[in-house]
Amino acid sequence: MSAASPSTVSDESPRIFSRELVLILCVLALVVLLALTALFSRMYHKKIHTLADAMFAQGEADEQAGQVKAALTDYRNALAYNPSNPLFQLHLAKALAAAERGEEARSYLLNLLSESPGSGEVNLELARIAAHNSSLADAMRYYQGAIYGEWHSDPIAMRWQVRRELCDFLLSRGAVKQAAPEVIALQENTPAGDPARLKIVAQLLLRTQQWNRALEVHRTLLAADPNDEESLAGGAQCAFELGQYVTAMEYFDRLPRERREQPDLAYRYDMTRRIFAADPFLSGLSAEARAQRVAGALALAQTRAENCAHQTGQSLEQSPPQTDLQRVYQQGRDLQQDWAPRYLERFPDRLDAAMAYVFSVENASAAACGEAQGDDRALWLLGRSRSVVNQ
Amino acid sequence: MSEAPVVSVTVPVEAVAPAIVDSPAAGQENVRTRWESWMHAVFTLREDRFFLMLAVVIGVFSGLVVVCFRLAIEWTQITLLGASLSPSFPRVVLAPTIAGIVVALLAIHVFSRVRGSGVNQVKAAMYISNGYVPFGTVIGKFFVCALAIGSGQSLGPEDPSLLMGAGIASLLGRSLRLSQEKLRLIAPVGTAAGLAAAFNAPISAVLFVIEEVIGTWSAGVLGAIVLAAVSSVVTMRAFLGPDSLFRVPPFRLAGPGEVLAYAALGVAGGAASLLLLKWIVYARPKMQALPRWTEYFQPAAAGLLIGLIGIRFPQVMGAGYAIVDQAMHGQFVWQLLLLLAALKLLVTGFSFLSGTPGGLFAPTIFIGAMLGGAVGSIEHYFFPGLTATIGTFALVGIGTLFAGFLRTPITSVFMVIELSGNYTAILPVIISTMIAYGISRAYQKVPLFDLLARQDGLLLPSIEERREMTSFVVEDAMRTDGVLVAEPGEHIVEVARRAEANPEAALLLRMRPGEWWLLDRDDVLRLAPDAARTTTPIHAKSKGPIPYLFRDQGLAEALQVMGDWPVLPVASRADLAKLEGILTLADTLHAFRKTPKEEAE
Repeated sequence: MSAASPSTVSDESPRIFSRELVLILCVLALVVLLALTALFSRMYHKKIHTLADAMFAQGEADEQAGQVKAALTDYRNALAYNPSNPLFQLHLAKALAAAERGEEARSYLLNLLSESPGSGEVNLELARIAAHNSSLADAMRYYQGAIYGEWHSDPIAMRWQVRRELCDFLLSRGAVKQAAPEVIALQENTPAGDPARLKIVAQLLLRTQQWNRALEVHRTLLAADPNDEESLAGGAQCAFELGQYVTAMEYFDRLPRERREQPDLAYRYDMTRRIFAADPFLSGLSAEARAQRVAGALALAQTRAENCAHQTGQSLEQSPPQTDLQRVYQQGRDLQQDWAPRYLERFPDRLDAAMAYVFSVENASAAACGEAQGDDRALWLLGRSRSVVNQ
Repeated sequence: MSEAPVVSVTVPVEAVAPAIVDSPAAGQENVRTRWESWMHAVFTLREDRFFLMLAVVIGVFSGLVVVCFRLAIEWTQITLLGASLSPSFPRVVLAPTIAGIVVALLAIHVFSRVRGSGVNQVKAAMYISNGYVPFGTVIGKFFVCALAIGSGQSLGPEDPSLLMGAGIASLLGRSLRLSQEKLRLIAPVGTAAGLAAAFNAPISAVLFVIEEVIGTWSAGVLGAIVLAAVSSVVTMRAFLGPDSLFRVPPFRLAGPGEVLAYAALGVAGGAASLLLLKWIVYARPKMQALPRWTEYFQPAAAGLLIGLIGIRFPQVMGAGYAIVDQAMHGQFVWQLLLLLAALKLLVTGFSFLSGTPGGLFAPTIFIGAMLGGAVGSIEHYFFPGLTATIGTFALVGIGTLFAGFLRTPITSVFMVIELSGNYTAILPVIISTMIAYGISRAYQKVPLFDLLARQDGLLLPSIEERREMTSFVVEDAMRTDGVLVAEPGEHIVEVARRAEANPEAALLLRMRPGEWWLLDRDDVLRLAPDAARTTTPIHAKSKGPIPYLFRDQGLAEALQVMGDWPVLPVASRADLAKLEGILTLADTLHAFRKTPKEEAE
C-alpha cells in the first residue's frame, strides 16, 4: 500500500471551488446518487424476488414430487435471496422435518416463533418435531399454542385438526388421561352435521374409553346412516362396554357376519351371545325358561367355584370359612334346594337371590383365580352390568 | 479551551439586509437576499458544527455507495456464478479464475491503490497524508472488489466499504476546505459510515473506528463519527431493509455453568485466529517476494484453487453470509462445520495473499460461525443437557474469532450483541472473546493491521500498543518534601527561620483554599531581620496566584498547565487548602525517564 505525502495532497487536491458551490454540487450529486441507487435497488429487488419466487416454486414442485433433497436446496436458495420471508422459512423447516432433520427445522421454527409467537402453523410444526422427539411437555405446549394460535385460512377447521393430532399423539404415548379432555373438547367443537369428523371423534372416544359419549356419537351417526358399518361396530362396542347388551346385540345383528368376526368385534359378539343365552332377566322369556337359565347359571357357578378351589388348594367346605370364595359359597349352599328348577319356576321371586348368589360366586372366583372365560365370563359380565343398573 | 475557528463569511453583510419592496424586480431581489441570508447563516457555522453537519452528509453518501456496492457484488455473483448457492461445474472454476485475471490487470494498471487493507489505508491517510484518500481508490475498490467478491473470491465487502466511506469523506473535506485538523479526522468519520452501512451495525462501526483507527475516545470527533455511522445505516436500511446480515435464532443462557462451554469455544477460537494470523504472517512476505510478473496470475491462481474447492464445497466461496445464516440455524453437522471453517481459512489465505482486493471481516465472521457451530455441536454431543442452540455457539464464535484475529475485543462483544439484538449473549461473548484475544496476543505479539502495515513498509501507530502504553499521572512525579507552606497571618521571621532550615525547599503562600502564591525566598530572608511584629509573608515579593494540580491528572496535562512556573502545588480534591505535594519540571522529566523496572520497584 502506498500513501500520498502532504505535498502530493496539494498537487492532487481537487480544484477548490467556493463552499457554496461545493455544497450545491454535493446536494446535486446526492440527488443523482439517490436516484441511481433507488433505480438499481429496485431492479435488484425485482430480480432477486423473481429468483426467490422461482426457486420457491421449484422447491414446492420438488417436494410434491417427493424429492425432498432437491426441495431443500431450492428452499435454501430461495431463502438466500429473501432471508426474512417467513413462508420460505416455514417451507424449509417443513421440508427439513420431512427429511427427518428435526433439529435443523426446529431452529428455523424457533426463529419464526420469536417473530410471531401466535402463529398456529409454526407451533404445529414445532409440536410435530417435539412429538417426534417424544418430548411430551414440549409437544403439549406447542400443540396448545397451535390450537389457540392464529390461522390464516379456515382457523376453525385447522384448530380441529390440530386437536385431533394432539389426541392421536397422546393416545399413541398411552397418555389416555391427558387425551380424554382433549377428545371431549374435540367432540364439542365438531358440528353434528359433519359425519366424517364425527366418525373420527367417535373413534377417539372409543380409544379413550369414554363409552357413553362414544355411544351418543355413534347414535348420531347411525341416525344419519343406519347401515354404516363402522358406526354399528363402534356403537356395539360402546353398548357392550356399558353393559347394554340388548343394544349391543341389536347393532351386532345389523352388521354383516364377516365384520362381526373381525378381531375387534369377535370377542364382544361372542360374549354378547353367551350373555343373551344365559341372561334369565331378558324380557319375553317364559317362567320355565328363566328357571332353566338360573339353574344353569347355578350349576356353572358351582363348577367354577369348585375348579377355583381346586386350583388354589382350598376346601369350599372349610369351617369356619377363611376366604371370600368359601364364605360366599357356604352362604348359598343351604339354599340350593330352594333354587331347584321346579321351585324357581313356581316362585319367580327366588330368581334374583339365586342369580345374586351366582354373581357373587363368579366375582369371588374371579378375584381368587383370575378372569373367567366363556360362559363364566358372560355371567360375570352380566352380574357387573346388573350391579351397575341396580346402583 | 480556545474558541473553534469560524468559517469565513463570503457573503457581504450589506447584502443580507432584507429589502421590503413591491415590484417584480424588487421581489426577485428579495428572494436573492433571502437566499444569501440563508447561505450566510449556513456558512457562518462554527467549523465544529459544520463538521457535524458534514458528517451526516458523509453518512448519506457512504450509505448510498455501500448500497450500490453490495448490489454490484450480488449482481456480479448472479451473473458469474448463477443464482444457486451451489454453482454448476464449469462456472464454479472458470468464474473466479477469469475474474482473477481481470482483477489483476485492473489492480496493476488502472487502480494501483486498491490492494491492501482498507483499515491501514485510512490510518495512513490519517497519520501520514493529512486525511487524503485518493478518490480513484474509491472507484477502484468499488469495481475491482465487486468483481473479485462476486466471482467467488473468499473476501468480504466491509473493508472496501470503509475505505470508500473514508474516500468520500476525504473528497468532501478537501472540497469544502476544512482545516488541517478536521481534514485529518474526516477519514475516520467516513470509515465509520462505510463500515456501519456494510455491517448494518452502527455501534460496532463506531467502536471499531475508535478501537482500531483513532485509538482514543476523542470527544472532538466522536459526535461526527456517531452521526455519520447512524446516517449511513439509515440510508442503507432505506434501500436494503433493516435485517441484519444473518438472522440469529433466539436463545437464552440457562445457568452460569454453561459459560464453561463458551470458555472452551474461546480456546478454540483463539487457536483458529492464531492459525489464520500465522498463515498470513508466514506466507505474505513470501508471496510479495515472488517476481513481479506473477502478480498478473496470483488472483487467477487463487481463483482456480477456490473454484476447485468450490466444486465440492461451494459454501466457502464469496462473503458467505447466506451460509453463516444456515449455520446459525443448525443446518450443518459438526464435521461439515469444522471442515468449512478449515477450508475457509485456507481459501481466505489464498485470496488475500494473492493480492486480490477485498476485506477479511466477512471471512472472519464465516470461520467464527462455523467453528462456533462445530464446538457447540461437539459439546452438545458430550453434554446433551446444554440449553444453548448451535446458532448461539455460532454467534458467539463470530465474536470470538473477530477478537482473536482482528484484535478488537470491545467491537467484537458489541458486534455480537448488535447482530443478535440480545443482551443475554453478553456474558458468553465476553468470556469467549477475552480468552481468544488473550491467546492471540500471547502467541502473536503484533496485531494483524500493524503487521500488514509493517510488511508494506509503513510504520503506522499501533493502536493496541498505544492502548496499553503506561500513562503517567501527577502522582507518579510529584514530591511530598521540599516545600514550605506559609500562612498569610504567620510572622515573617518564623517563615524565614523555616526557610533557612530548608534551603532547597520552595516557599508557597496559602492565601485561601485554592489560591497559592510562590514566595520570593530572598525577599523573605531580606525582610525578616528588621521585620515589625505585623510583618507577614504577604509583605514579601511573591508571584501568583499559581495554577494547582491534582494527583490524578495526567503528566502531559500538567506540563501544559506548568508553563513557566518553576513549581506547582498539588492540592487535594477534597480540601483545596490541603497541599499533597509539589511538581517541578525536573520531577516530570524524571518520571518520563523511569524504566519499567524502576517503575515496578
